[in-house]
Amino acid sequence: MSRFRGVGTIAERELSSYFRQPAGWLIIAFYLFLIGIIFSMFVLQPGQPASMRSFFAFSGWLLLPVAPAISMRLIAEELRSGTIESLLTSPIGGAALVVGKFLGACGFLAAMLAPTMLYIVLLDRVSSPRPDMGPLVSGYVCLLLLGVLYLAIGVLASSLTSNSTLAFLMTLFTILALLFVNNAAQFVPDFLKPVVFSLSLVNRVGDFAKGIIDTAHLFFFLSTSAWFLFLAVSAVELRRTR
Amino acid sequence: MVLVDSVHKSFGAVAAVRGISFELKPGQVAGLLGPNGAGKTTTIRMIAGYLLPDAGRVVVSGYDTVAQPVGARYRLGYLPESTPLYGEMKVTEYLDYRGRLFGMPRHVRKPAIEFAVSRCWLKEVRARKIGTLSKGFKQRVGMAAALLHNPAVLILDEPTNGLDPTQIRETRQLVRELGADRTMLLSSHILSEVEKLCDRVIVVCAGKVRADGAPAQLVRDHGNSAKYMVQAKGGRPGDDDRLVRLWSNLPYVQEVVRTNPDKRGEVTEWTNWVVSSKAGAPDLREFIAAAAMQNGTVLRELRTEVITLERVFLRLIEEAETPAKPAPAEPLKDTLTPSVAPPTGTVTPGPAAAKPAEPIAGGAR
Repeated sequence: MSRFRGVGTIAERELSSYFRQPAGWLIIAFYLFLIGIIFSMFVLQPGQPASMRSFFAFSGWLLLPVAPAISMRLIAEELRSGTIESLLTSPIGGAALVVGKFLGACGFLAAMLAPTMLYIVLLDRVSSPRPDMGPLVSGYVCLLLLGVLYLAIGVLASSLTSNSTLAFLMTLFTILALLFVNNAAQFVPDFLKPVVFSLSLVNRVGDFAKGIIDTAHLFFFLSTSAWFLFLAVSAVELRRTR
Repeated sequence: MVLVDSVHKSFGAVAAVRGISFELKPGQVAGLLGPNGAGKTTTIRMIAGYLLPDAGRVVVSGYDTVAQPVGARYRLGYLPESTPLYGEMKVTEYLDYRGRLFGMPRHVRKPAIEFAVSRCWLKEVRARKIGTLSKGFKQRVGMAAALLHNPAVLILDEPTNGLDPTQIRETRQLVRELGADRTMLLSSHILSEVEKLCDRVIVVCAGKVRADGAPAQLVRDHGNSAKYMVQAKGGRPGDDDRLVRLWSNLPYVQEVVRTNPDKRGEVTEWTNWVVSSKAGAPDLREFIAAAAMQNGTVLRELRTEVITLERVFLRLIEEAETPAKPAPAEPLKDTLTPSVAPPTGTVTPGPAAAKPAEPIAGGAR
């Protein structure tokens, strides 16, 4: 495990750096403001069933700009400012750097989503019958898995360029491609169609919305995220040999 | 302590480092000197482990930077060229972070931070955010971070780059202190800096080592000719030719050049000359004066131009950058040639110069 020595140090610094800069607070404020409006307009309505389905659907879409905004500076900024040189000449390796950065970003995502748990408490207090906890848990699991995957894509994009804006756009377009890849199924040969459908995020998210936590979906999100992180580690290490 | 063995590095079609080799002994303070684009930073980055060499090897304290990178990095402190730091962190927070990256436990980290803060004169700014510090202080923070884990080898890339004169003086003082008890390699394109701080100079140009040694030794080995600036009374017909012949025939004289313009048809009262000697020549002033007296020429000035490391450096760079040129067909302007000299535009000494050193007529003591 010596390849991952220093992961905790990197993750901790990364997480704290979000809160040292206005950008981190702005992202949280932007997300909570919009999601608060959604909650009050679509969930907290008299006569509505005690479900947070609309909340999770909008949250998923909000992650589309938010996750790239969280991840765009992770490595790109180190490349731009030159701090990558100090990091890569310290005893930590590229793997520890990438995983540490990723975990720091995941921590920030969790911190951003954490205040929305109050909505569950609120919904539980005001609704009768009380909300079914199954879809609530699966909804949060889905949001976290989507966020983790988006951030992993963002880490890879950030490792490829020193330009944060470019990293943001690369992440956004890759996510959009994964979301709408099933629309491309009609253009591919039949034998490739199952592959295209299996890559589609929309189909998997639909299951979570129904309250189903399928281990195949869990495996897909986690293994795809790991694959993007592996590519990011390779991109960082390749810089030594460029 | 540091071994750089036939290291090569290319970026695409550009060969940045082409077979650089040198070895630093424990306690040695060496300067990597060269013009911009010479390959200094690439060499330093390979030693620090940020870049991997295409060929050759780098060994730091017995650890190969490719095969045993972690071992090498623990033994090396590195200050990159632009001192990249995290502006949002406080000085001690940043040092604590660096200490943790090097796996230093808290009980070791705390005293190490105190030592680095005091050694790099950072006490007054220890609680301030790095982004609010002056460039000089940022440089010191970078150095404190580099020496925090008490490395045996310290590598500083352009440590005074972009600093004002006061900051440069302070940084040099700090570098001098740090170099007292560890092996240090610093790169610079500022010659005076290397001359003042280092006991060894490695001149790099176009990706190769052009010279390597103590500053005084480099001046001795590569100083080639000393130059003597002479002002002589002119005005008599044939004076110039006679002076050239007399001086050119002195042993060790390589070249005699008249420097003030020889206007056609005008009699110049005072003529200026540069007499260049070969490498290893003794002081020729008394012989130049004696030869002038032999010609009945009055001298108003005779002085030696001191050969500095700067001149050696410039010459080495010039040699490296200039491809071998064919001899010009015409004599150079303002260069006088004696009748026996080849028409190369450069006055070469006569047969006497080829002989071993011997007492010069009229100049014997």
